[in-house]
Amino acid sequence: MSVPTPESLRELASKGRWKPVVENLQKAGAAAAANLLKTLPFELQRSLFRRLPIDFAAELVPHFPYYHIYILLHSRLPGEMRSIVDEMEPVSRDDFLEELPEETWKHFMEELEQAPTEAAQAPEVAEPSIAPEAPAEIAEPAGIQAPIIEARHVEKNFLQPDGRQIQVIAPLDLSLESGTITALLGPSGCGKSSLLRILSGLAAPSAGEVLWHGTPMDRCSPNVAIVFQSFALFPWLSVLENVEGPLLARGMSHPERHRRALKALATVGLKGFESAYPKELSGGMKQRAGFARALAVEPEILFMDEPFSALDVLTAENLRGELMDLWLAKKIPTKSIFLVTHNIEEAVLLADRILVLGRNPARVRADFRVPLEQPRDRKSAGFLLYVDYIYKVMTQPELELAPPTAARAVSKAAYPMLPHARPGGVAGLLELLADRGGEEDMYHVAEELHLEVDNLLPIIEAATLLGFAKAREGDVDITPEGRSFVEADIPGRKILFRDAALANVPLLQQMHRALSSKSDHTIPLEFFHDLLDEHFSEDETRQQIETALNWGRWGEIFTYDPETDRLRLFESGQPENVSEEAPLH
Amino acid sequence: MTVRPEGSRAAVPLLRGFSLGVTPLLHDLPVICAGLALFYALLSTTHYWLSPVTEHAEISLRLSALPKYAMFSVLRIAFAYGVSLIFSVIYGYVAAYNPKAERLMIPLLDTLQSIPVLSFLPGVMLAMISLFPTRELGIELGSILLIFTGQVWNMAFSFYSSLKNIPREMQEVAKVYRWSWWQRFNEIELPYAAIGLIWNSMMSVAGGWFFLIACEMFVLGDRDLRLPGLGSYLQTAANAGDTRAIVSGLGVMIGVIVLIDQCIWRPVIAWAEKFKFEQVEAAEAPQSLVLELLKRSKILPLIASTAIRPIGERMNLHFARKLQDATPDKSASESMKWITRVIVASAVAGIVYAFARMTTLLASLTGMELRGIFLGAGATFLRVELTLALAALWTIPVGVAIGLKPKLSAIAQPIAQIAASVPATALFPIILVALIRVRGGLGFGSIVLLLLGTQWYILFNVIAGAMAIPTDLKEVCSLFRFGTWERWRELLLPGIFPYLITGLVTASGGAWNASIVAEYVHLNGQTYSTIGLGAVISNATDRGNFRVLLAATIVMAALVVTINRLVWRRLYALAATKFKMEG
Repeated sequence: MSVPTPESLRELASKGRWKPVVENLQKAGAAAAANLLKTLPFELQRSLFRRLPIDFAAELVPHFPYYHIYILLHSRLPGEMRSIVDEMEPVSRDDFLEELPEETWKHFMEELEQAPTEAAQAPEVAEPSIAPEAPAEIAEPAGIQAPIIEARHVEKNFLQPDGRQIQVIAPLDLSLESGTITALLGPSGCGKSSLLRILSGLAAPSAGEVLWHGTPMDRCSPNVAIVFQSFALFPWLSVLENVEGPLLARGMSHPERHRRALKALATVGLKGFESAYPKELSGGMKQRAGFARALAVEPEILFMDEPFSALDVLTAENLRGELMDLWLAKKIPTKSIFLVTHNIEEAVLLADRILVLGRNPARVRADFRVPLEQPRDRKSAGFLLYVDYIYKVMTQPELELAPPTAARAVSKAAYPMLPHARPGGVAGLLELLADRGGEEDMYHVAEELHLEVDNLLPIIEAATLLGFAKAREGDVDITPEGRSFVEADIPGRKILFRDAALANVPLLQQMHRALSSKSDHTIPLEFFHDLLDEHFSEDETRQQIETALNWGRWGEIFTYDPETDRLRLFESGQPENVSEEAPLH
Repeated sequence: MTVRPEGSRAAVPLLRGFSLGVTPLLHDLPVICAGLALFYALLSTTHYWLSPVTEHAEISLRLSALPKYAMFSVLRIAFAYGVSLIFSVIYGYVAAYNPKAERLMIPLLDTLQSIPVLSFLPGVMLAMISLFPTRELGIELGSILLIFTGQVWNMAFSFYSSLKNIPREMQEVAKVYRWSWWQRFNEIELPYAAIGLIWNSMMSVAGGWFFLIACEMFVLGDRDLRLPGLGSYLQTAANAGDTRAIVSGLGVMIGVIVLIDQCIWRPVIAWAEKFKFEQVEAAEAPQSLVLELLKRSKILPLIASTAIRPIGERMNLHFARKLQDATPDKSASESMKWITRVIVASAVAGIVYAFARMTTLLASLTGMELRGIFLGAGATFLRVELTLALAALWTIPVGVAIGLKPKLSAIAQPIAQIAASVPATALFPIILVALIRVRGGLGFGSIVLLLLGTQWYILFNVIAGAMAIPTDLKEVCSLFRFGTWERWRELLLPGIFPYLITGLVTASGGAWNASIVAEYVHLNGQTYSTIGLGAVISNATDRGNFRVLLAATIVMAALVVTINRLVWRRLYALAATKFKMEG
């Protein structure tokens, strides 16, 4: 077996000797070749793929994820693309087409239809600028140089008050390279921010190490900057003083500091606002000041912790655009950007590479490149493909996309969690689905309900858990049970909700069983709190209890008396005016 | 904006100030005068402090002596406040950043905060006099130390909790850009804590007057330890029955308090607006005429740009560069560790020694003395609770009435504020003279005295609570035609509850404190007293019975701390959860 190594492939490719590379790949067989290709930087993959014979390409693509296939196919001319699709095994082809989200599928079909059978036309979609034979583009192979930051088996544990350890981040490896924008996506509270703080050297990992150009983080002073969601400007300092702060800390004396700060302010378009105080500025202006402060120190890596989340939609869009303009034109001295966000579209819009984190504990569920040309169009088929894919990853916890790590095997089966959604939210979602004929792409639902994915996912999870809906590959379908729920009146809905909850929600089952078995049918809430405390962090336990109370009270499973802090089994005919938003305390 | 060297900019206002003539000079006149006055005051006080001690302080009742007395009183307060401020910052800083120390320092703070300081008055005075037997400095330091112990704890706690509450992201900014401790202190910690510290300073200084007056009137047995000041002036005037002196003394005191409020606190509060941690500009910002005056002054910016700013710059750069040069190794802190160990060890040794001495002293208590202490404790407890009940009884209806009617509150608030600004201890001698003429003696009179010191806390809190009741809830009440009783039960009482509790907690502490001076009084060479723990303490001091003094002080402190823990804290928790008005 002479399977070529990635290194040898890379070397051959960098010399422009494509022929031996292609031959080698063909010799290795489709599966091995696909694995090899996956280890290469994306640009190189594309260049190689472009040079593969049609039949081999058709044999190779089924070994890639569908979104990857889509992008690879689009690196070929439309005619070739069509031929490859035609050459694919019918089963694989159907699988691939099945997976595409609706808009992308339609768009793709049109492309195939319009494609000339074997003519040479300029490729029209994702990569209009790349000429088919341009060896110059791989002159600088990306991702080969040493990473700026390298995290090795970092994990984060928090100590509970009672001395137990709760793992927030499972051991993970990650490296940040020069020239890329990396986005970190994940459900809220999954440890995204903790990971950012570990990578930026703000917090030490509980285990493992973070290297800055090969040296452990705590033994050097990494040149990083952070842009915060809350801006973190000091209200008592003027904009200029805010920007000068980090420079002063570097011992820079007045004239130099002043000059650098003014330059940074001019870069972000805040010229003329030097002497203003943050509270006089709008949100967008404040975040500009935040960017200026971060850029003034000329960081090698710019960390951004949900930088656009506190801004209104238009301002955020504007600021994102300007940031990308600066980045693409290399007007900012930053070599790499690490962005934490819960906004899927934002990640696809900005990032060269996207990491999706799973929850409880955090681990990388997906790590992939986004090879779309900048500036990106939110309506383009490629864009929607990625958005849809991320929805899919985030809504299907069982879907394992990242290579399994050793640590997961030892972690015990996670305790089933309640998604933090209110019954009213679930009802709203079901009504929308029923309206739409029962099935909808998730990103459409999010758009329709004006919900961030962060708020939408728990609702979908809740509806799924209750058996009212089904999440399937980025779509949500309503189930017959969900339909009868929508059609019922309020008391009817409560009965359906109660039955569904007792049939499907372990925590509520447990609470119901416990309450029924007591002769007086009451139990202090504290009891369940202690029960959950075994499995969750203090915060999460509180949220779990709050959600369980909300569901249990709404579904008339039990009542709760905040005065005595006790739960009581609900008995029909017992009056209780529970409102859905009944506060816990 | 262009870059300009610091020097050339500094020269500009100076030239402009002189070329424009008289008007700018007028702006600076108040500043210059204030500076000169301060200088004179310091000079004459130092002179007096170093003068030999006088056994029987002669207090002159002449009007012309009043300014001097007022100045002495103000300087005592100012000194005590300065020491308190420095102590608070250091205490808060250590407690906030040293988790080991925090575990000890915060419960200690909590306890010290609730101990009635006046019970230490006799002990502290005697200790200080023995430290400086030949100079006035001893009694002066005693009074300053006492005011300090009365005002420092809430300031320290405020600073500590501000440090603990600095938003995480601000701390991360400092950390990720590696700010030096000085820059952190100067640009984050101090500004963030400023507003809390200022409001607590105001409260502390107001409380300081209470202790100051008590100190100035202090007589220990046959030793007259009075200090020349407004307190002793008022007491002498009351003894002599000199109405004119009483009125003018009170007038000067109120004048001084109002002046301090207008010339110091108002401008400081208006200035501190910029430290407010808000992202949006407030519609209504506090304003101050004096601050405007200072802002128009040409001298202050000149001082700032020639002296303060360059020094600040140099400090910043010095600490920043020191941090830059420092290699992150841990050997440097080794010596610090040893120093801390030595300090901790000696502190522990001191505490153990003091504790041992205390126990031997307490072991010699007789049964009679113990009975007296516990009887007194019971009597004072009842008296304090009765006072609180009486105070609540009149302040709740009045406070709610004022709070609900904006027009009424516009008139009543300033009057009440002035009335409350007069420290209760200043009125004691005057009221006593009146009370003793009426039959009933001090048993009844002491309640009046306690009431005097405590009612204001409750009144102001009730007014604030009534004002905070949301309009929509009031509208619901009138919409459903709630009766008077229903209105009180459903809306007003629950609405003011958290505020009422806050007021009662403060009032309770104040009442215990005041009991020491209210239950046992020297007047015209005669001693009036009633049964109570305060009387036991004062009496023990008079007779030099240290074991009773110690035991009674401990009992009082323990009692107050226990009541705080068992009663007030629970009510507080209830107020913070169930009765919290949420938007």
